[in-house]
Amino acid sequence: MNVRSRFEEFKVSMRPRVKEWKFMFLRIRKNTLALAGLVIILCFAAIGMLAPILAPVPPDSLDAFKIPKDTEINVLTPNPTPPTLRHIFGTTDQQYDLYYACIWGTLTAFRTGLTVVGISLIVGLLIGTLAAYYGGMLDEVLMRFTDIIIAFPGLILAMALVIAFPAKIPINMSMLFVVIFALVSFLLLALGFSKKLLLVIQGLLMLSLLSIFYYPLILDLNLTRLDKVLIAITLVGWPGYTRVIRGEVLRVKNEDYIEASKASGSTDFGTIFKHIWPNTVYPILIVATLDIGSIVLSAAALSFLGIGAEPDYADWGQIIQRSRAWMSRPEQLIGNMHTFLIPGLFITSFVMGWNLLGDALRDVLDPTLRRR
Amino acid sequence: MVSLAAYIIRRLILLVFVILGVTVLIFAITMMFPPEIRAYMYVGNAEQARPGVIEQAIITHGLNDPFYVQYGRWMSQVLQGNLGWSYSSGESVVTAISGRWVFTFEIVMFAAPIIIFVGIYLGVQSAIHRNGLVDHVCRVASIVGWSLPSFWLGLLLISVFSGYLRWVSIGPLANANIDFIAAGIKSHTWATYTGIHVFDGLLNGHPDITLDAVKHCILPVTVIVAIDVALLIRVMRSSMLEALNKAYIITAKAKGLSKKVVYYKHARRNALIPVATLSGMLVAGLLGGLVITETVFSFGGLGSWAAHAALTRDIPAVLGYAILSAVIFVIANLIVDILYAYIDPRIRLE
Amino acid sequence: MSLATVVEVKDLKVNFYTYAGVVEALDGVNVSLREGEILGLVGETGSGKSVTSLSVMMLVPPPGRIEGGAIYVQNDSGREDVLLMNDASLRSMRGKDIAMIFQEPRAYLNPVYTVEDQISEVILVHRKPEFLKNALEVLKKKRRGGTVEASNYRRMLRNPRSLGVRFIQKFSSKKTLKNEVRKEVTKVLKSVEIPDPERVCRMYPHELSGGMAQRVLIAMALACNPKVLIADEPTTNLDVTVQAQILTLVRLLKRDFKSSILYITHDLGVVAQLCDRVAVMYAGNVVETADVFEIFGSPFHPYTRALLESIPNPEKGFKSIPGIVPGLINPISGCRFRDRCSYAMEICQKVKPPFLEVKKDHFAACYLYGGSQ
Repeated sequence: MNVRSRFEEFKVSMRPRVKEWKFMFLRIRKNTLALAGLVIILCFAAIGMLAPILAPVPPDSLDAFKIPKDTEINVLTPNPTPPTLRHIFGTTDQQYDLYYACIWGTLTAFRTGLTVVGISLIVGLLIGTLAAYYGGMLDEVLMRFTDIIIAFPGLILAMALVIAFPAKIPINMSMLFVVIFALVSFLLLALGFSKKLLLVIQGLLMLSLLSIFYYPLILDLNLTRLDKVLIAITLVGWPGYTRVIRGEVLRVKNEDYIEASKASGSTDFGTIFKHIWPNTVYPILIVATLDIGSIVLSAAALSFLGIGAEPDYADWGQIIQRSRAWMSRPEQLIGNMHTFLIPGLFITSFVMGWNLLGDALRDVLDPTLRRR
Repeated sequence: MVSLAAYIIRRLILLVFVILGVTVLIFAITMMFPPEIRAYMYVGNAEQARPGVIEQAIITHGLNDPFYVQYGRWMSQVLQGNLGWSYSSGESVVTAISGRWVFTFEIVMFAAPIIIFVGIYLGVQSAIHRNGLVDHVCRVASIVGWSLPSFWLGLLLISVFSGYLRWVSIGPLANANIDFIAAGIKSHTWATYTGIHVFDGLLNGHPDITLDAVKHCILPVTVIVAIDVALLIRVMRSSMLEALNKAYIITAKAKGLSKKVVYYKHARRNALIPVATLSGMLVAGLLGGLVITETVFSFGGLGSWAAHAALTRDIPAVLGYAILSAVIFVIANLIVDILYAYIDPRIRLE
Repeated sequence: MSLATVVEVKDLKVNFYTYAGVVEALDGVNVSLREGEILGLVGETGSGKSVTSLSVMMLVPPPGRIEGGAIYVQNDSGREDVLLMNDASLRSMRGKDIAMIFQEPRAYLNPVYTVEDQISEVILVHRKPEFLKNALEVLKKKRRGGTVEASNYRRMLRNPRSLGVRFIQKFSSKKTLKNEVRKEVTKVLKSVEIPDPERVCRMYPHELSGGMAQRVLIAMALACNPKVLIADEPTTNLDVTVQAQILTLVRLLKRDFKSSILYITHDLGVVAQLCDRVAVMYAGNVVETADVFEIFGSPFHPYTRALLESIPNPEKGFKSIPGIVPGLINPISGCRFRDRCSYAMEICQKVKPPFLEVKKDHFAACYLYGGSQ
């Protein structure tokens, strides 16, 4: 009985929100640019998911992301071959198959974009909200810190980070567990959740603390070059999110319903979860969508400069990097145009899809322009 | 009326703190390298293989000392004007920078005004004639422009205009002219007034060199403009739309002012405020170095030098470049803030 | 004794085309403002008062569109329909023949220009020749009648539209002209009882208090001596003491400048203090218009009656009107007040009552008083 009526209550309380979503989807459907963007992204997603079928992994390959070299034709000719039936997009020098690189590069692109945005978003959300909500000294310190990182020429910082990062990081798992459990118990305390769960978590916390001293669990993490690129771009990118989120939270913080929520006894985190975050999610979503595009571009730029993915990794920027050899000899460059034209088109359309979507979302979700 | 001067002083103090913070951050990154790699800074190429040299270098230069000690040592050097030796380019960092900034500046000198003025104009027009032809064209062009990888566009332009049509060559100047200038400097027939070829050509009575410099700038400037003007148009458009919705626009119309005056005098002035900030940051970013563009066009400016330095792990060069970029950025920030306070009287109260 | 009508709104229809549907904001509004009177336009939020006033100046913002009716104003060329005017005539009318002040004064002033900039702007748009002549007089007196500046002014007077003149306007120093205009600005600020007008001239809108800003708006509206002033709830956002001062000021305007004022408000107390005649609006229609004593003494329309009864009275207690204002998207047929009216009849459900003169100079739109033929 109790559960049933609570469910009914929930459905009723969600009605206005559902109506808003329906309105939003209607507007997205009507907006041609948004649809175009969505279609492009879905196409790429399809390519990514169908990669093993569209570009089958050679039987003797250990890693799907290693571009196969065609060792049959012209091993002695390092020059790229234009598109033929055998290699649909042609090959680069050293006979790497462009078609394979482009198809599997789609997966790399998705992975890059979503990982970086995901982590930056979480970090930015935590820090930005804390800074904006509690204000004062904490805000000043955190904001100065993010300002410093933003003051940096992003690409150079990323480059420096990629080079500086060691290939092997020994991670002290015990330490990591201690931190995680401490955070979770803090959260549970603040939210006022069940005491039993809290006890369990704190027990695990004690265990991990003990293990640091008696039996530390150390994991050697091997970072591929691509991983380093992802980490570098994340470290350079999170301040951007922090700023945006802080701005939004500040804007919402002074609204009356926040004061009402606090007055009705909601805890700090409760207010943040239930009231502040739902009202700030739209602009953050827009920034995130647009950012996926720039992240992929940055990763491609780093690969182009030579510090991105490994030389035979299936990454769009990496493939274009091979064209650098003819950069100073334009006549040769135009002769080998297919080596960079096609991967570049892949990058451009991928990024354009996300930009179209983000731009259209920005128009659709703009509260002042709705319902005109 | 709160004084503009007080505001400027406050911002200057903040600026110092941020620059200090940047230096700490940069230094922290270099400290991520193990001492062995950092020792390479002090040991010449020839001696690196010899046993014991690296260890000796680590001891001599205190590369295992605590963070703050090394930082202090480095900062005192920096403040004396010594930014170290860039072994990837074979000259001191300061020399490397002073020799190369002119090329970067040449490109930015053309690109920045085009981006700002074209961006503002098109943004305002898009907003005024909302959903008109200009608006839709600008919108699509913006999205396409913003999605292009700069290196790809560069390669494309090179292959078409340089490879196929053979209109220009790569680099800041035709090879013949580079030799000409070098010879002229040696024989004292060429005076380097500014270092910027576009100006020096005229000042030395050689307009053909100026023309050549301009010709060589066209492609890199095109790449930068194509990508960055997109952002400016979008921001100007949305800012203008917001301004047009404000209450004082109704007052302006109610006073009998013509549409032109209402749009350009009342709306645009308010709309330019956030755009000014963005433009300042954009120019600062451009001045900091166009790494990709310079690399693709072999322009020999700060950006390509820094990229090469990063690749060859030339730590002093990267450090020096990072400091330069940060200083430029922070100063630009300050100028923008002052401009902001000048345009918008409300800011001076903060 | 029929007084001249300076503004006559006849059967005005305004629609707003929104995503949610077509909002019929005004459905045949009839208002007339007579010379030298203060007409109060009363109604709840959403009744269409602001839209009516904006329509007079053709300032209705999109997605609104005027779909029918006529608005006659009295200007130099006689009686003209605003809805048929071209752009140039409209611009000439706005600020000079009819001026408007608004509800939240600081939002309606441009934040990046000083008070002087904004007031001198309207003066220069409508009264430039006058001040050019003044400037020339001043220069003649100072024996500088032959200077470049003086010849610039003469050229500006002769052909204000030529390219050369426009160039001169932008780049020459117009010090004397500016001084003359500044004197006028100070004079206007004084007339709205702003203390220390020279200092206020140099201030920016965010530095003004609410009451001060509203006076500045009024000064700006009066700068070109308009015959008609439309005031859209100018005191709603101000506290009561300031409100009293502004109301005194408005009364002064009527007395000294003989302006005709259309005063929009939802506050019946203000109406009682200030207005000569009252027009009551409900859901996009004017339901009753009469002399202020008539309205308060013998209200005819049931809505007016209910409104007056709902004025909080410590002896009689609280009485509110049951029901809510009907939506304007698919408006109900017939009289829009019928669902809340205690006297509703069958015909009220079907046909909208016409706006008739029920008593001498007392109009109402209600079948209780006829019109059902």
